Amino acid sequence: MKKENKVRDHVNWHREFRLAPGYIILSLWVLFTFVLLGWVIGASFSTSKEIFSGTVFKFETGIHLENYAKAWSTSNVSVFFMNSLVYASISCVLLIVICAPAAYVLSRFTFLGNKLIQSGFVAAMGVPATMIVLPLFGLVAGWNILNVSLANRAVLIFLYVGINVPYTTIFLLTFFSNLSRSFEEAAAIDGCPPMKTFWKIMLPMAQPGIITVTIFNFINVWNEYFMSLIFANSDKVKSVAIGLYGMINSMRYTGDYAGMFAAVVIVFLPTFILYVFLSEKIIAGVTGGGVKG
Amino acid sequence: MKKKMLSALLCAAMVAATLTGCGGSGDSAPAAEAPAATEEAPAAEAPAATEEAPAAEATGDTLVYWSMWDAAEPQAQAISQSIEKFTAETGIAVDVQFKGRTGIREGLQPALDAGTNIDLFDEDIDRVNTTWGSYLLDLEDLAKANDYEATANAGLMAACREVGGGTLKSIPYQPNVFAYFYNVAIFEEAGVTAVPTTWDEFLDTCQKIKDAGYTPITNDNAYISSLFGYHMSRLIGEAATEEVVKNGDWDNEAVLKTAQAYEELASKGYFSETIESNQWPAGQNTELAMGTAAMYLNGSWLPNEVKDIAGEDFNWGCFSYPAVEGGVDGTEASNYGAQVFAINAKSQKAEQAFQLITYLTKGEADALLSEMSVGIPADSNNAEWPALLNNVKPVMDSLTTRYPWGAGAEANADMTPIIIENFTKLCGGSLDAQGFVDALKAAGN
Amino acid sequence: MKKNKTMIVVFLAPAVIMFSLIFVYPIVRTVLMSFFKIEGVTDAMSKWQFSGLANYIKLFNTELFRISMWNIFRIWLVGGLIVMGLALLFAAILTSGIRFKNVFRAIIYMPNVVSAVALATMWLQYVFSPKFGLFKTIGKALHWEWLEKFQWLDPSHLFTALLVAYCFGMVGYHMLIFASGIERIGTEYYEAATLDGANRLQQFRYITLPLLKGVTKTNITMWSISSAGFFLWSQLFSMVVSNTQTITPVVYMYQNIFGAGNSMTERNAGIGAAVGVLLSVCVVLIFVVCNKLFKDNDIEF
Repeated sequence: MKKENKVRDHVNWHREFRLAPGYIILSLWVLFTFVLLGWVIGASFSTSKEIFSGTVFKFETGIHLENYAKAWSTSNVSVFFMNSLVYASISCVLLIVICAPAAYVLSRFTFLGNKLIQSGFVAAMGVPATMIVLPLFGLVAGWNILNVSLANRAVLIFLYVGINVPYTTIFLLTFFSNLSRSFEEAAAIDGCPPMKTFWKIMLPMAQPGIITVTIFNFINVWNEYFMSLIFANSDKVKSVAIGLYGMINSMRYTGDYAGMFAAVVIVFLPTFILYVFLSEKIIAGVTGGGVKG
Repeated sequence: MKKKMLSALLCAAMVAATLTGCGGSGDSAPAAEAPAATEEAPAAEAPAATEEAPAAEATGDTLVYWSMWDAAEPQAQAISQSIEKFTAETGIAVDVQFKGRTGIREGLQPALDAGTNIDLFDEDIDRVNTTWGSYLLDLEDLAKANDYEATANAGLMAACREVGGGTLKSIPYQPNVFAYFYNVAIFEEAGVTAVPTTWDEFLDTCQKIKDAGYTPITNDNAYISSLFGYHMSRLIGEAATEEVVKNGDWDNEAVLKTAQAYEELASKGYFSETIESNQWPAGQNTELAMGTAAMYLNGSWLPNEVKDIAGEDFNWGCFSYPAVEGGVDGTEASNYGAQVFAINAKSQKAEQAFQLITYLTKGEADALLSEMSVGIPADSNNAEWPALLNNVKPVMDSLTTRYPWGAGAEANADMTPIIIENFTKLCGGSLDAQGFVDALKAAGN
Repeated sequence: MKKNKTMIVVFLAPAVIMFSLIFVYPIVRTVLMSFFKIEGVTDAMSKWQFSGLANYIKLFNTELFRISMWNIFRIWLVGGLIVMGLALLFAAILTSGIRFKNVFRAIIYMPNVVSAVALATMWLQYVFSPKFGLFKTIGKALHWEWLEKFQWLDPSHLFTALLVAYCFGMVGYHMLIFASGIERIGTEYYEAATLDGANRLQQFRYITLPLLKGVTKTNITMWSISSAGFFLWSQLFSMVVSNTQTITPVVYMYQNIFGAGNSMTERNAGIGAAVGVLLSVCVVLIFVVCNKLFKDNDIEF
């Protein structure tokens, strides 16, 4: 980040000229993204008639903030925002507590089954949800607990954690294997037993990786749709993806396009804002930059 | 801000997990951050804890009603108002969840399978009785005990029994009829004086509208299969149409005849230019309600759905799908029905649920729903229809034969998308009649 | 060593238990279920009726299911080529020393973090609209009549529309992975090549591409994983009624098992299980082929 932002001494026009095609391609793509978002935001302040007649940005009838009020009030937006916040936060914490030790052990010790577990986890990342959802649903339905909202929430969090265990473990595993063994050796000399060494020394050292994987988990859980659709469709426990899908549908059924685009913006904003602040971290996480700290 | 909270949560997790520390001097730098973080952590999790409390009381004495309406719709608003009154009068609390059509269709069955506490729900008469038939409580006894049928629409009650397999499993409300809805202003401008009752008159009407500079017919992907079903049923009756669709008997000459009729409509340019790309609700909103297209085969809920766009002064007309030469059914046959309430067979509070249904489908509540949602009243004592539906009443009254949803076109779920795809192409002119038949035949193998 | 043993067990146990509960047990049970006729998803095992391969045979004889498999295959292959092509192109541009690299990168990746519900609605209701859509407006402004008149949402083009919208969102992620792969290639290769008189394109062809095998494998793997779970986009592009252009196996299963389809057919959870098994077999096949093609390369991030 710092390196690239360094102001170049002077603009090398010859060089820039050769790069021109690259600039044009990327700029067009970015421009398209902006127009797309800009129009949707514009439409969300407009009216359905103006949208149909293509005069969104003229705002002839003024700016219609009530679209947002309507979209917000038709569904309990605050309830499912809060639900998802709770699900995502708790799941993220649990995932670290469960996966970090496992990843550490898998990266540090050779034992029977280590490779098997690792390949099992990698393979699980490619399992389609269809493959696991039927038995899980049968199981949970059999317990007859989905009526108690606390139990329903617990089931959801359990599922969110479960489906993200393989990914989180594998991510942290690469991270731990890149940490030097000298820390443990030093701790061992000081007489610190291995388990304590892990909690006191290795885990804090893994913090950058943990933060990165947590951001990913947070976004994954926040946007998760399929499991939530099947396991959380009662109003009180509804998560964001399901709730907002309902909100958009609600606007469609009343032919309120402006309201629908307002709903889209409401869906869009939370992760977008998160992204604005964390884009560097997220991108570093995808490319493994985070792994190197 | 979020980032701070995230790391606070994380640190909290780490601290919590470190039950016993190494202590002493060996502590590395990151651990020093921990105490600061613990102070923040409870604050971050606090809303979570308080949020759980009110949600825990889901069960208890509350009736749970999953509604097919979306909260933004006038039906939902009318029902909410009535339920409030109901609770005030009877002391029965109702937890109403407005799922919307999509929400109910996609979510109800898994929820019922999982034993979710749902006492009553509603949807279209055919869907409730056939798709979810095995989940329903038989209502004959409850209806008798409460003398429900004294002021109910007899025809619709009969229809409910028919689709319920001879017994009453659902209670109709918001009756509707599925027919051609049209823009009276365009008809007048084009010089159409009487609604078409035969196919030839229909063609004539289309031509006049086209000459006047309007699009005669539009539709959306959600309803277009009904065009096929209606035409087939006019030719050979609904039962025979259903057989054709279920058994893949595409060689039946009615299929080709229907396709030829629509090929003609398409080739004469009677369909909207964008008919093929109309993804519901594009056609009803951007064409019919905006006043560029004249006719749309749809339910009597249409004027309500588009009223914000069409405006108050939009003059709605209605006519039954025209009769076809040599066909067995005439304009007396159509899909009519209602939304219906049904009670979950597993419900512990069937009595109260039935009480609520009775309350909502009769008297004041029924009138309020009809008024607010431009719908047809269910209570036979509520004789007055909303003004927008004035032209619908004669059509409704003239019907004697009932088609199910789609008039047989959607009898085979595995074929429905294929019929829709190819029929849409037929209407758009990118497939001819023979091509349509061939495509269906090919899919049947 | 003994201490280590307890540590290994204690540290591994929670993750392995979760994994077994959420993956191993359901997968085994799904495979079993696919050979039975099962009325309700929640039925106990004693109510299952063994039916051998009947579920699979029925699926293969159902046109709609065949279409759904064909669709997912098209998404994987055609979408994959488009996404990989664009991602590689963008990655090459990003790493060629342009300014504002981070800004470009961040904006192109952005759709990946946004809820697909919002993205799909924007595309479906706005960009592709035949009345006021963005593509129509662009076509009009540039006097490209084909673009102005193009009916994205009709049955012949809906799939293309779905693909375009989906790929738009996915390019960013794969671009990042390619870019990090390119950046990891040592500059000495290029310096040597420059001395030998190779131009930029030649350098790209003979140095960058061959050294990108590892990340390419990663990309293909990740793309296959996300394709197999393709559900939400398909669901959003076929509101109200399912349609032949956008139906995918997961949607097919969902509609059949959970009654979201338009009318009632025979209920059989075994069919749903068979759909899952078939999909998984496809994913495994892709992995195997992928491993054969890029033999000695570990997955790199």
